[in-house]
Amino acid sequence: MTDTTSMTQASGGGLSAQKLGLIAVAVLLAGLIAVPVAVGDEFVYHIFITICLFAALSTAWNIVGGYAGQLSLGHAIFYGIGGYAGVILVNLGISPWFGMFAGAAVAVVAAIVVSWPCFRLHGPFFALATIAFLEVFRVLALHFRELTGGATGLMIQLNIGWEWMVFRERLPALLIAFGMLLVCLAVAWAIRSHRLGFYLVATRERESAAKAAGVGTVKVRLMAVSISAALSAMVGTFHAMYLTFIEPESMFSLQFSIQIAMFALIGGIGTVWGPLLGAVLLVPITEFARGALGSEAIGLHGFVYGVVLMLVVLFLPNGIMGVVHRFTSGSEKTEGEQAAPVAAAPRSAVPHEAGREVMRVEGLQKHFGGLHVTNDVGFTLREGEILGVIGPNGAGKTTVFNMLSGFLKPDEGRVSVLSPSGEWQEPATPADFATLGVGRTFQIVQPFAAMTVEENIMVGAFHRHPHVGDAREAARETAHRMGLGPYLNAEAASLTIGGLKRLEVARVMAMEPRILLLDEVMAGINQTDVRRAVDLMLSIRDTGVSIIAIEHVMQAVMSLSDRVIVINSGQIIAQGDPQEVVRDEHVIEAYLGKEFTHA
Amino acid sequence: MDTFLQIVANGLMLGGLFAIVAVGLTLIFGIVKVINFAHGEFLMVGMYLTFLLSTGMDVHPYLTAAAVAPALFVLGALTQRLLIQPLMSARDEHVQIFATVGLSTALMNLALLVFGADIANTPAHGVRSQVMLGEVRILTGQLWVFGAAILLVIGLQLFMKKTRTGRAIRATAQNRAAARLMGINDKFIYILTFGLGAACVGLGSSLIAPLYPTSPTIGTYFVLIAFVCVVLGGLGSIPGAFFGALVIGLVDALSGFYIGSDLREAVVFTIFLLILILKPSGLFGTRMNLSHVSP
Amino acid sequence: MLEVKNVDAGYGSTVILQDISLHVEPGEVVTIVGANGAGKTTLLRTISGLVKPRTGAITFEGKDITKLEAHDTVDRGITLIPEGRQLFPDMTVRDNLLMGAYCRHARDYQDDTLHEVLELFPRLRERLDQHASSLSGGEQQMVAIARGMMARPKILMFDEPSLGLAPIIVSQVFEVIAQVAATGTTVLIVEQNVFHTLKAADRGYVLENGRMVLSDDADALLQNDHVRQAYLGI
Repeated sequence: MTDTTSMTQASGGGLSAQKLGLIAVAVLLAGLIAVPVAVGDEFVYHIFITICLFAALSTAWNIVGGYAGQLSLGHAIFYGIGGYAGVILVNLGISPWFGMFAGAAVAVVAAIVVSWPCFRLHGPFFALATIAFLEVFRVLALHFRELTGGATGLMIQLNIGWEWMVFRERLPALLIAFGMLLVCLAVAWAIRSHRLGFYLVATRERESAAKAAGVGTVKVRLMAVSISAALSAMVGTFHAMYLTFIEPESMFSLQFSIQIAMFALIGGIGTVWGPLLGAVLLVPITEFARGALGSEAIGLHGFVYGVVLMLVVLFLPNGIMGVVHRFTSGSEKTEGEQAAPVAAAPRSAVPHEAGREVMRVEGLQKHFGGLHVTNDVGFTLREGEILGVIGPNGAGKTTVFNMLSGFLKPDEGRVSVLSPSGEWQEPATPADFATLGVGRTFQIVQPFAAMTVEENIMVGAFHRHPHVGDAREAARETAHRMGLGPYLNAEAASLTIGGLKRLEVARVMAMEPRILLLDEVMAGINQTDVRRAVDLMLSIRDTGVSIIAIEHVMQAVMSLSDRVIVINSGQIIAQGDPQEVVRDEHVIEAYLGKEFTHA
Repeated sequence: MDTFLQIVANGLMLGGLFAIVAVGLTLIFGIVKVINFAHGEFLMVGMYLTFLLSTGMDVHPYLTAAAVAPALFVLGALTQRLLIQPLMSARDEHVQIFATVGLSTALMNLALLVFGADIANTPAHGVRSQVMLGEVRILTGQLWVFGAAILLVIGLQLFMKKTRTGRAIRATAQNRAAARLMGINDKFIYILTFGLGAACVGLGSSLIAPLYPTSPTIGTYFVLIAFVCVVLGGLGSIPGAFFGALVIGLVDALSGFYIGSDLREAVVFTIFLLILILKPSGLFGTRMNLSHVSP
Repeated sequence: MLEVKNVDAGYGSTVILQDISLHVEPGEVVTIVGANGAGKTTLLRTISGLVKPRTGAITFEGKDITKLEAHDTVDRGITLIPEGRQLFPDMTVRDNLLMGAYCRHARDYQDDTLHEVLELFPRLRERLDQHASSLSGGEQQMVAIARGMMARPKILMFDEPSLGLAPIIVSQVFEVIAQVAATGTTVLIVEQNVFHTLKAADRGYVLENGRMVLSDDADALLQNDHVRQAYLGI
């Protein structure tokens, strides 16, 4: 317990908070070994082994439940698989050191089978589905008696020694549990600080924005559950050896699954060290209570867990790590106008010579129910051209964008993109479009709220720079170019609407796209910013990038566009030179109001 | 043939029992958009209350519903007011899930602390006697439960369709911001609805207690089955939950007989998973705003 | 009648409205025009109590309503017809209209009001038992307006009534608004369709980036150079 106080003290430090934090974690970890060795009491050993075990499981759970935001309440499936694999193999004379890898392999298969169909379920439904899978596994484990021993359970043959993971003393067991904890923490830390971690958090925060940034959202989630399941299974194998007896009710238990998730939530969901902290704080309290009060207090630890859980969600939604974080980072609120100048040099729109065709859109049709939202939309886009798209609200402009970026499949028609190697391809998914260099923004900004501005842009930068260092550098460069330099370490959620709009563009720019789809990036930003944004887009265009921009700010459309398309009721009603288009009678009638001409 | 009829009858009766638990759950989900993981523990609390009242005062367990249902209403209303309402605006759904999971864990273990792990048998007062309906044997208590479930569903439907408050509840569920602009106090509506949902299971618990032994963990089993019924019938649909419950009751009884009683639950939960994954709008395709499920 | 004084408002850490002041007198038709994202919707939401002002005060008929909840402002006679209709999709048109009369002062007159409203919207009479979601966009907008009138408001606020409607329907909507105003109801309209709405209004305000930049008679605004340039594209 002394270790945790040193943690909070250490993190109050300020400047080198991160270093102090790491030292605190090291002290905490050392304490997990040192305390029981120093006390030498069997019961204390047992408590610390339990801490390591829960901390390891919770850390593994956190990769799925925290990073990926898939709230699994069935994680005991993987733990149970590991346990049964270990015991069954031991009874066949195979060491659990091999057994745990066999269990991990089975768990990975189970994880993929369980989660793949469930990814389309969100929040409580994913949780319910995992509970249902857990129940199925429990019932099957009870049913297949030949394999699992059924309700009577399985006992392991008591071969003592390191080879069999079974010991007379407690210390070796503690060392193994501790080692497993270290492995889980190391894996969790590695994921969080590499591209996979960024991708997982981005997918959790805004799935569509992550897709637009070229993230294979299903792939990264499957990787996360596979890793998490493998780790849980290995811990399960060890725990089975430690318990020497297993039965379906305890190996595939819902309560146990909830506890695993709970430690992560209490410590700080989605953080590397949160699950460890949660286990360190809660396990001793309840275990001591259980030890002290004995069978009198059956249910006491569960009651405490439940109450603590409710209090934490009500008052500490970010867990203990949230409190620690508040102390270390202070309040890093960005205030005032977020209008650092964009780096683009002011320039006037000189007539621009557009290059070869890079995107062809032919005969797009789309119906939503009875509504014909896109009717025969077709146009081409040339290299280094800015194509303005205007039209009244609800005309179907964003629907067209969704079909140009793979987010919607057209009922009819096709979108082809010229690949860098010069072939015409017909991408289908957001990932395909991203690979071909099509980047898009969203009309309603989609920041990854839990990430900093820099991390947001990095998600885009990873598309071309798989290594964190390179991506960070590219992201910083883009941020400075977009006038977001001063806010690199600010939480994205703290930006003003103008800042968020620029962040949205910056994330796409960091992908270094060849074709840029901008959906109303100027809405709601002030006049000076509009002028800056226009300059910025022109400078982007001059690097050879083609831009399609939906805009309402006519001033921007007119000074920006090489060509304009007017969409009304899902149809293109005019296209061509901006000056000509605004004088078109149909356009005036549809967009500016019929009586406008007579005004 | 007789056996088959008997199994079908058992299944339907079981379905009525599931229905009376599921109706409140689907009401809360449909309106408040919160999955109440503690719903099973509400049932458990209601059953213990029924047990205590009927043994303590030596009255028929059904009569205790007059006290148990209001008590559960208060429990539900308090849950909404103190636990869910502060979390309604939370950005992440996981906090709401954990909130009701926490409540569930706390209530279950509190019951363990207070009553111990032993089961409590509510006196039957004759509802476990059998009646013959043609060829099949049924407990009178099961018939009462079945009848009560039907009445509850009809009553709730009438309330939701015909009364001003019922319409306000539906309006709040369909468009919360617009409902506020109509002058509806949405917070009050949510508290009322959560209370009503809990009162439904309170009524159910007084009817179920004499048929099933009460234990601290009884809720877990029932709530999982209730989730299945609710998803099957289309989330948020009250008649859907009723028919979903009948289907699950039949599946449970038939698979118990033809596949093996130890695999009943596996069959039920496999159906649940298939529906959840393949047809999340439920078997009866009720139109529902499934904001939680992506297209 | 309605007075907004030096109001700042926003969501979370984002400030949308800065130092907004405006007033509406009984029987007037007042409009607030501005581009997408200027804060028009937030302003109406603030008046109706869905968003709480950070600073400043809102009074209605001389009484402070700054801190009232949305459902309380309705009881005072302020009704907002929200952007994008916001009907109750799975309820019948009749039930939608009856919900409009939920507030205390309208409840007892609900049948009479329904009768009056249907006089104004004869097309809805045939649709009474259909689900609101089965109606066309224009019909839905009519239901939204009718639902707003069911509350017997003293002031009726329209948020982008022309949104997503075909031009011909837009004209119809503005005709209906003129009829509503003719019954003596005070009207406050927020629109990006600058031309139509200034034609329909007595007075107008221009909102840009969360600040009021202009306020004048509607006819004068139509002739104003800044307005013509920024919103009419002339």
